[in-house]
Amino acid sequence: MSKKGNLLLSLILAVSMILTACGSNNGGGNTPSTPTETSNSNTEGEGKTEAEQTNLTLWTFVQQHADFYLYMADEWNQANPDKPIKLVTENIPYDEMHTRLLIALQTKEGAPDLVDIEQSKFPNFMKGEVQLVELNDVVEPELSNIVKSRVDIYSQDGKYYGVDLHVGATVMFYNKEIMDQAGVNPDDIKLWSDVEKYGKIVVEKTGKPFITFEGAGNWSWWPAINQLESDQVSVDGKVMLDDERNIRAMTFFKKLVDEGIAAIAPGAGHDTPEYKAYMNAEGAASVFMPFWFMNRFTDEMPDLKGKIIIKPMPAWDEGGNRSAGMGGTGLSITNQTKHLELAKEFLAYSKLSKEGNIQVWKQLGMDPIRTEVWTDPAMSEPNKFTEYFGNDIFDTLLEVKDEIYPVNIREISPQVFDSVRNEIIPRIFQFGEDPETVIKEEADKLRKSLP
Amino acid sequence: MHQKKSRFRIGNSQLIAPYIFVAPFILSFIIFFSYPLFQAILMSFQSVLPDQVTFIGLDNFKKLNNPSFYKALYNNFRYTIYTVIVLIPIPLILAVFLNSKMMRLKNMFRSALFLPALTSVAVAGIIFKLVFSELDGALMNTFIQWLGFDSQKWLYYPGLSMFALVVIATWRWIGINILYFLSALQNIPKELYEAADIDGAGLFSKFYKITVPLLKPITIYVLTITIYGGFAMFTESYMLWGSRGSPQDIGLTMVGYIYQQGFQYFDLGFGSAIGLVLLVITLGVSMIQLKFMGLFGKED
Amino acid sequence: MAEKQRWNFSAVFLLLFFIILAVMALFPLYALFLASIKPSSELFRYGLNVRLDFDVMTLANYKAIFAGKGGSAHYFSWYKNSIFITSLFTVLCLFLSSMVGYGLAMYNFKGRNLIFTLVLAVMMIPVEIILLPLYRLSIDLSIINSIWGVILPFVVAPLPIFFFRQFASGIPKDFMDAGRIDGCSEMGIFFRIMIPMLVPAFGAMTILQAMFSWNNFLWPVIVLRSTENFTLPIGLASLLSPVGNNYEVLLSGAVLSILPILVLFLMFQRFFIEGLTVGGVKG
Repeated sequence: MSKKGNLLLSLILAVSMILTACGSNNGGGNTPSTPTETSNSNTEGEGKTEAEQTNLTLWTFVQQHADFYLYMADEWNQANPDKPIKLVTENIPYDEMHTRLLIALQTKEGAPDLVDIEQSKFPNFMKGEVQLVELNDVVEPELSNIVKSRVDIYSQDGKYYGVDLHVGATVMFYNKEIMDQAGVNPDDIKLWSDVEKYGKIVVEKTGKPFITFEGAGNWSWWPAINQLESDQVSVDGKVMLDDERNIRAMTFFKKLVDEGIAAIAPGAGHDTPEYKAYMNAEGAASVFMPFWFMNRFTDEMPDLKGKIIIKPMPAWDEGGNRSAGMGGTGLSITNQTKHLELAKEFLAYSKLSKEGNIQVWKQLGMDPIRTEVWTDPAMSEPNKFTEYFGNDIFDTLLEVKDEIYPVNIREISPQVFDSVRNEIIPRIFQFGEDPETVIKEEADKLRKSLP
Repeated sequence: MHQKKSRFRIGNSQLIAPYIFVAPFILSFIIFFSYPLFQAILMSFQSVLPDQVTFIGLDNFKKLNNPSFYKALYNNFRYTIYTVIVLIPIPLILAVFLNSKMMRLKNMFRSALFLPALTSVAVAGIIFKLVFSELDGALMNTFIQWLGFDSQKWLYYPGLSMFALVVIATWRWIGINILYFLSALQNIPKELYEAADIDGAGLFSKFYKITVPLLKPITIYVLTITIYGGFAMFTESYMLWGSRGSPQDIGLTMVGYIYQQGFQYFDLGFGSAIGLVLLVITLGVSMIQLKFMGLFGKED
Repeated sequence: MAEKQRWNFSAVFLLLFFIILAVMALFPLYALFLASIKPSSELFRYGLNVRLDFDVMTLANYKAIFAGKGGSAHYFSWYKNSIFITSLFTVLCLFLSSMVGYGLAMYNFKGRNLIFTLVLAVMMIPVEIILLPLYRLSIDLSIINSIWGVILPFVVAPLPIFFFRQFASGIPKDFMDAGRIDGCSEMGIFFRIMIPMLVPAFGAMTILQAMFSWNNFLWPVIVLRSTENFTLPIGLASLLSPVGNNYEVLLSGAVLSILPILVLFLMFQRFFIEGLTVGGVKG
């Protein structure tokens, strides 16, 4: 028996030696990129480049974004043969990417040149001495051509630190079949009061709820109060959850739920498998979500192809806003970059230029921030979105173009959003508590706990 | 490496030998843990922001006096109690069954119970969210309807969600704990049971008089890591609610709280303070339990 | 093992009981496997289901991952990294941790309880609070973005030390004395007498440490910088995002990622079943 043990041991030792041996040769992977060295020597004769390629690293948390940036880097290299870029993208899981960025910026080592920062995480990078690069010189010339609120989100004290990928205009997605069955024309629903009026008819005729709200998320209440030009956090970074406009909107939503016109989305949110299964099986007649929700329809609710139409949101009052810009990811440059000018030029090229913005639609199916491209012929070329929703997608967008009010994202936003998602919305929608009481309570609680 | 007859003088001394044996740990501790731990203690007295690290005294520890912290502690405490109740006796008994002569297909069952631990967290999260979803057709609701109850919203009510967490923990860890007990059962000499058989001992008295006492060291080990695992639980909660928190903090745990404060709200100093308090609590509870079981006594 | 098994009531009852348990344990995995051989839209159409619908079954998800679609271009380098890191980590970890555990169990020496307490303390430090200093340290030691960065800080692992200590404490000390009388050195006793007795513990710990290393997530994602150096769990998690998911490769990737440890498990089962009992060792 002891022989066996010895055999096992020597095996283990042998294996460990072999492994450590090869480990020291090639297990090291890439050499650590200390700030003192930038390796751009590995351009291995891929077609003789006249100019030396510059390495730029870009972190993102969405593979599709990485693909888009790589495409834009190729375009850039064709347009600028004198200063070619070798873009290296790293796709890292969402939470961990932001955690790693915080650590890298805090320790001043190991941050990338360019990084995608998700909107709700952005305030964390505005704390202390900002470690991102100011982009005013590339953003300011374009301010008149883009939806300005999409760069305002990523700014502090008049300095721009990031550029969004898309507008995230919130629109109504109607299930045409259910609406026809109920004999209701979506174009008649101009105001939220019409939702109550016609929603009743839809429920009576079809037995299905007219609309769904998120039961533990922020994609229902937030766009609705943004239409009223209110917000959850004020311009100067204070809690304004209990603004009377917010209470008005929530009270009305709660009424719709109580009357059975609105249902709480299964899975408690619109971006859950349960909701998609429910919607895919014709669960409800409509939903309002930002423009980027289109790819959830095309990819995850295939049975609704050709049945969904896109319309503006109902306004709260005559002449009120019929959309809201929601969600987003800003591209920023860290102060650890060794190629600031080039990184800036590339950022401007991929996020602010006309070519880049057309690709945002073509590759990602998102609404670009540069408004002139919305009427570009490239927008009506057939793709999976036009096949699914029809050809008039951008007509709706043009209609509401000037009705998108900016949102405020400030230092306290992460805490406020968590409070909305995990306290206010569940208490009202899941436990049926009174909106006004809950909102005031939670707002007070936040004011006490936040510095 | 193979020592036939040639051996070090030094390895012969019973005074020096133990220090050679524990040297790897001492080295690893000095190199990899002393500095980070010291830094973490330092950070707990600071406000840590890029280029703005300031000493703020006990402010971080004062901040601990808030409902979320108590909620997290309470959740961990309950979870620990439940997992100790479920994940020690049951795996022990199952391991005894799996070790018995009567059992067929042992390998198959061992593998089956162990497999869940291999599933990646990202994917297990998707699965369990769907298992515990509030829809009538979801697995858990189908099951309790079959038992004659109504569908439940598992992820909104404290009691129900604790049940869900314990179910996931059981699913993930039961096979591993069985493995611990099995490895120890292997080392119980068969002669002991044979002798007991001659004395005419029954199944239960054999279990109480032989199996349980001889499994004591491993039971202490499993109990300790279950307590520690209970206080350090985050993964199971993350599977059900993701990183954005749970309705009314019903799934908030201490480690989740560290993560939320340290990285979601970027308050590293406060995160460190929570972490150190958690470390003190877990270590304290484990020490008391180990002392109680006489683990530090001289064994001779 | 060679004894004849008799069928009787309790044997049948046990078998049925374990069949039910196994079904419960495997159900989620079965559902996952089924989801992986259907188009990912099925998951959204009907939620998690176990309908055997042969019309929609397809290997498209597996083809997609072999073709490197939807962010899975590096899938097989993640796979390779995971296997490499796990093997190296497990071997080193077992060797070092068993030494420490044995030393703590078998010798009375000054500072023993202090060291044991430190072992427990290290086990209980939440990784989250040392993430930043450990990152800084890894840069200073130049082990950032390398497999050593993943392995070294945690290779002398407190959990197996504790386990080996407990396991060894069940072995009578007479064996050591017998070894000394035979003229073994202290090291020799460990290598030639104790290791054979610790075989079941090695078996259990091999599987466990391999599993921990295989599923380890938070530290590797911080210390490894480039996508091709990632390990499987990180890679799989990167297929999920708040802005769109790649379920088709996630599902097939998850199924494939279970295989290596399963194979290891089946191989190492033998060490338990052999039942190298104390009685079988020459004193």
